[in-house]
Amino acid sequence: MSKEYAILPCNGLDKCAGCAAGELAIRLSEETGSEIICPVFYRVADTRYNRIAKEKPLLVIDGCASRCASKLAAEKGLKIVKKVNISEEAKSAGIALKTDSLRLGETEKLLIGNLADRLKTEEDTAESGQETSFFPAQLTYDTYQKDKFMFRIPEEEAFFFNENDVWAYVSGGKARIGVTDYVQQSLSDIMFFTAPNVGAEISQFDEVGSLESGKAVFEIVSPVSGTVTRVNEDLLNEPERINQNPYEQGWIAEIELADFEEDKGLLYDFNGYFPIMKRKVDEFHV
Amino acid sequence: MSGETFMGVPREKIDWSPRIDYNKCNDCMECVKFCPHKVYEVREEGGQRLVVKNPENCVVFCRACGKACGVDAISFPNKSETTAHIKQVRKEMEANE
Repeated sequence: MSKEYAILPCNGLDKCAGCAAGELAIRLSEETGSEIICPVFYRVADTRYNRIAKEKPLLVIDGCASRCASKLAAEKGLKIVKKVNISEEAKSAGIALKTDSLRLGETEKLLIGNLADRLKTEEDTAESGQETSFFPAQLTYDTYQKDKFMFRIPEEEAFFFNENDVWAYVSGGKARIGVTDYVQQSLSDIMFFTAPNVGAEISQFDEVGSLESGKAVFEIVSPVSGTVTRVNEDLLNEPERINQNPYEQGWIAEIELADFEEDKGLLYDFNGYFPIMKRKVDEFHV
Repeated sequence: MSGETFMGVPREKIDWSPRIDYNKCNDCMECVKFCPHKVYEVREEGGQRLVVKNPENCVVFCRACGKACGVDAISFPNKSETTAHIKQVRKEMEANE
């Protein structure tokens, strides 16, 4: 059975990617029971669209990295269930979108067709995997408080941190990674998690997924190198788990380590990271 | 600012900051609004409006402003080369201690 969405597309009419986003929305609405939310009219009157967004899972189609549609969803407090970015999809398919015309060509139409087919059949999320016991059931934290904001850091020795505010819990050739409280407090409400692919080979400091809030996109910079073996699929539906606790229910992924002894040289332990985070909080956190 | 060091290496020894492709840049200034580290500056007079004013304020390995760029006008140095360079400098520093 085809999936039905409430679709909030970018409608950037002066860019090919925007026109393609609109076209993808039209196509999905024709081929499934999906309903389109007009981003322009949504700004003027939102009652009807808020209702649609509640009744059906929300699909956001961004045209480019300006993410106007995502930002609009954030502004309206909508829960995004799925999203695509036309420019990114084009890039990963090796397609150059037109720059000299706003009319969609055959290449663009083919891309839209493929995306539509994928979106019609995709599941929202896969089933969550079994919990493994390699991660401690309970963590002890040290905290730094600034105004009403609390910044926790786990004290366990197996935790390592990079200066990009990503942690790794290392045990037996494997690491679980996630972001620190500094990241989730700075982003505030996290609305969307883009997972790394299971099986992807990652070098230290490569991107291993990203987080998005109404404020910004945060690229998760991997503290370790290795192969992604598992992602926290609960985050696909409930990215707010990262705001609740980025060390426990908000972990990001697990990685089979390639050479941790080498990676370790460019990581901090608790004692090294704590003052760095404190300084960042004092300098930047408003 | 954080200035000073990254993983113990003096920041000025690490070449990591955004490169702007002025042929693509459309002056939307999303990158300027995004970056809390004051890496960019907007100039009102003469030449390019958007400049990388404080490259050493840029957080090493952070590429986030590039993601805020709708026209993909921002790029960064090669990450593996930068990592190798940091390791190299650390080795040299240790040898000199």
